[in-house]
Order: sequence, then structure tokens, then C-alpha cells
Amino acid sequence: MLKLSNVYAGYGGVDVLHELTVEVQAGEFVAVVGPNGAGKSTLFKTISGLITPSSGSIEFLGQDLLAVSAAKRAHLGIAHVPEGRQVFASMTIYENLEMGAYTRAGQKHWQDNLEKIYNWFPILKERQSQLAGTLSGGQQQMLAIARGLAAHPKILLLDEPSMGLSPAIADEIFERLIDIHKNSDISLMLVEQRVAEALHFASRAYVLEAGRIILSGDQDALRDDDRIRQAYLGM
Amino acid sequence: MDIAQLIENLLQSLVAGVLTGSTYGLMCVGLTIIFGVMRVINFAQGEFMMLGMYFTYFCVNFLTRQFGLEGIYLPFVVAMLAGPVIYLFGDLLHRGLLNKVSGQQGSKLEAGGHYAQLVLTLGLALLLQNAGLYFFGSTPVSVSTSLSYTAWELGSPEGISVFINQAQSLAAILAVGVVLIFGFLIAKSRLGKSLRAAADNPDAAIYMGIDVERAHRIAFGFGVGITAIGGGLLASYAPFQPYIGTEYVIIMYAGVVLGGLGSIRGAFLGGLSIGILQQVSATLLPNQLQNTVIFVCFLAVILLRPNGFFGKSGRVA
Ligand SMILES: Nc1ncnc2c1ncn2[C@@H]1O[C@H](COP(=O)(O)OP(=O)(O)OP(=O)(O)O)[C@@H](O)[C@H]1O
Ligand SMILES: [Mg+2]
Repeated sequence: MLKLSNVYAGYGGVDVLHELTVEVQAGEFVAVVGPNGAGKSTLFKTISGLITPSSGSIEFLGQDLLAVSAAKRAHLGIAHVPEGRQVFASMTIYENLEMGAYTRAGQKHWQDNLEKIYNWFPILKERQSQLAGTLSGGQQQMLAIARGLAAHPKILLLDEPSMGLSPAIADEIFERLIDIHKNSDISLMLVEQRVAEALHFASRAYVLEAGRIILSGDQDALRDDDRIRQAYLGM
Repeated sequence: MDIAQLIENLLQSLVAGVLTGSTYGLMCVGLTIIFGVMRVINFAQGEFMMLGMYFTYFCVNFLTRQFGLEGIYLPFVVAMLAGPVIYLFGDLLHRGLLNKVSGQQGSKLEAGGHYAQLVLTLGLALLLQNAGLYFFGSTPVSVSTSLSYTAWELGSPEGISVFINQAQSLAAILAVGVVLIFGFLIAKSRLGKSLRAAADNPDAAIYMGIDVERAHRIAFGFGVGITAIGGGLLASYAPFQPYIGTEYVIIMYAGVVLGGLGSIRGAFLGGLSIGILQQVSATLLPNQLQNTVIFVCFLAVILLRPNGFFGKSGRVA
């Protein structure tokens, strides 16, 4: 459903991503792993339109994504859960979710989605009129994911949802992602530094280093790859 | 001056302060919504007030001449119309000019475009002043009706009596009404929430599908339109000329800083306080010091409470 072909992109005329070709099929759970500064967040920003590639093409559901403005891409079904959560700190949890549901599909399915979201993250229901800025890191991450789900997306881009969280909270978040994947037809694309977990949950993964895909394949193939074992799994 | 006289003067200036302050508050709300959403300091805000005044002046004259429309409420109705008209003007200015130095495009410039914004809005202020001088002339004009000279008298048995100007009262009521409606729109409506989201975190707002550039345009339109309504209301009881904006932009900034940049409630209360301060100081101090008091207060706030008194800085609510 989402396909990047030979994409070069970066900041201020300097490319960070080189010759990137990445694909996500409908309903898939794909991981992107790689070290700090590899360009993982840049990849997501390119998909959601904050960065315009210097060359290459991006297709989403058969449509040329580069012809669509950034704000309109959300309405096509791309929900970006950014690195560092980026919740609307001065707005309540409920208002954050309403903003997630700003898309046409989100408005249409608001009641259904809200119910699902509150099921997955009961704490958000309890705290719904609390300002998002006053939530703990883990709660903010849950809100950021929930806000993405409220858009009723076709694909959810998750940028390091475990960042800065305790292992227990991170595990909880990963479990929730599995639930979401099982109980919906949303495709997931996950950027993670916790490579072992990412490879465990995702059906396929790409390894990004210095802006290039150096390796890709399904779960088992990657887990057995020597380079991955040494560099990321510490085996 | 005996004590009864002093009390009477103070009460009188308090009343006048509350009434004019309400209109100041409205204009401050216009300024703060622009800052809150766009992070642009609009130095031309006073000139949009001036445009609202002349719009009211010319419309009232035109309607009276062409259609024989008259009446004590006409200037107030026309002042309200200044809102949508100046909104459209603001929309065009944003598309043609401000857009180029703020938001996404501004972030590519030095200091996030703030230098360019400073030069642009100052230039716009000068341009509008001179255009005003050219088209409207330098002679002060006014849009007064019999309401401007009519007052209710409140008296006490002790012989203290206070006059409440009717034009000022009507202007104050309308100003408060506009602030309440606008505040409600920002707090509760989908549009208002999307403006707050765009102000809070522009990147995340884009991820939600909010067109942040459009949000800025709407905020700018609202901001100048609201200030123009304030100008129109003020015109119903005070004379003006094309340079009047310079005088009032200081009042607006003082009010907004007092209230905490970006907060609607704070901006209104800030403007109200400035109005009261101005009038009360006029009874106690020589007339020439009136605006000096505002300046001193402005500096004191910046030194002592940079986040203002009435609102949380940087929050649109
Ligand atoms: N706004 C920016 N302007 C200029 N360069 C940037 C910007 N953001 C990122 N970069 C550069 O682009 C490269 C890739 O950054 P990116 O944030 O995509 O990495 P990442 O893989 O997400 O890293 P991390 O795991 O630390 O989040 C880095 O070298 C970084 O310095
Ligand atoms: Mg990153």
C-alpha cells in the first residue's frame, strides 16, 4: 500500500536518505531499525510530508504522494506518531483525541474509535479532561498512539514509542501495539532502537544505516543474520 | 480639592476606565490571537484599528447620504461590519506578504523569520499610515451621535454623582460580547481547537491533517478583524486621524504583555486594566503623564512578571 522508490531526502539541500526503497503491504507490521542518526525519523517525515524528497517517488494506495500536501496526507490515511510524542501539551486528552480525529475518516468513525481507544488505554478515559502536558511520559506516549488511531488511519507510523520509558511501560506499549495490529486492519510501521522487540513483533524489517537500507527481510532471516546478531542483538 | 470631590473624581475615572478598557481589551484580544497562533509580533496592529475607525466613518457617512439611514445605533452596527471586511483584508495580506516570512516559509529564514516579520509589519504600519494620510487627510474626524454626549447620572445622597457615557457603555457591552463569542469559538469549536493545536505544535498539527498555513491565515484575519471592530467602537466616541494607531499600539502591547502573551482571557483583562490605569492616573497625575504611566507599567511587568498576570504565556485559550 505504501511504496518509496529510490528516495533521496534531507535537510537544507543535504541528503540524509540515499536511494531508499521501502514497501509496506496492507495489514503488515514492518519495523525499521538502525542506530542514532541513521535517518529513521527523516524517513517518517518524508512519508508524512514535512520533508520533500530531492528525488525518487512515494506511492500510497496507488496515488502519487508527492503531489499531495503534507496536511492532506493525513486525510488519505497516514497517521504519524512522532518521535518524542509531540502531544498538544496545552490541550486536554480528549481534545488531543479530537484533533487526531480531524481527518474525514476520523470524524466519521469517532464514536467507535473512541470506544476502542478507551478500551486499549483505560487511563486516557480516566484522565480525559487533564491537560496532556501534565501527563507522565508513558501516558503521553499512549496518548500519542491513541491520537494517531483516532484518525482512523490505514497506516500508523510509530517513531520510537519506547523512547525514554521504563522497560515495564515500554512492554505495555508493545503489547498494546500487538493488540492493535491483531484487532484492526491498520498497517503498522515501527521505528525502534529496541531491535530485539521490534524483530519479535514485526513480520518484516529494514535495517537503516547512514541513510541507506543495508539489509531487509522477514523476522527469522534477520534474527539469524550474523551482522544483526552482533550489532543489535548482542549475541 | 475636598475628599468628596476626590472620591467622585476617582469613581468617575474608574467608570470611564472600565468602559474604555473593555474596548482596549477587545483590541488586545485581536493582537494576542495573532501572536499566539503565528508567533508573529504585528507592529501594524494599530493601523488595523485605524482602518476599522475610517471604515466606520465612511460607511456611516455613505449610508446616511445615500440612503438617508440615520440613528444613534448606526455607527455600532457598522463597527461590527468592520470585522468581516478587515478580516478579508487580513486574509489577502497573509496570502501576499506575511505568509512569506512566517510559518513554514519563515522557519527557513534567519531567526525563524522574526527579523523579516519585524521589518514587514513595521513597513506595513508606515504604509497604511501614509495611505491613510493620503486618502483620508490629516484632519481629525469623529463618528459621534447624540449617544456620545448622553450620560446616565448616578448620584448619592452625599452629593457624589457619576456620569456613565452611553456611547462608551454600548461600545463596552459590544466589545465584551465579541470577546465572549470569540473566546467560546476558540475554546469549543472544531476550528478554534485546530487553531490552538496549530499554535501548540505546528508539526504535530500537520500530522493530524490540519492545514497550519490556513490556520495562520485565519488567525491573522480574526486578529486584525477583531481589532478593527474595537477601532470602530472607539470611533463612536473619540476623534481620530491616520496616525492614531501609533498611540494605541502601545496600549495594546501593554495590555497583551500584562495579560500574558497568547492568552485571550489575559489579553482582555490586560486591556481592561490599562484602560482603568490610564483614566485613574489622569485624575491623580498631570495629563501629559497619562501614557507614561502605561509605559512604566509595561516595563514593570516585563521586569517583574514576564509571563503576565492573567494568563499562561504562550497558550491560546
Ligand atoms: N532538522 C534537521 N536539520 C538538519 N539536519 C537534521 C535535522 N534533523 C535531523 N538531521 C540530521 O539527519 C540525520 C538523520 O536524523 P534522524 O533524526 O532521521 O535520525 P534517526 O535515525 O531518527 O535517529 P534517532 O534514533 O536518534 O532518532 C542526522 O544526521 C541528523 O543530524
Ligand atoms: Mg529519530
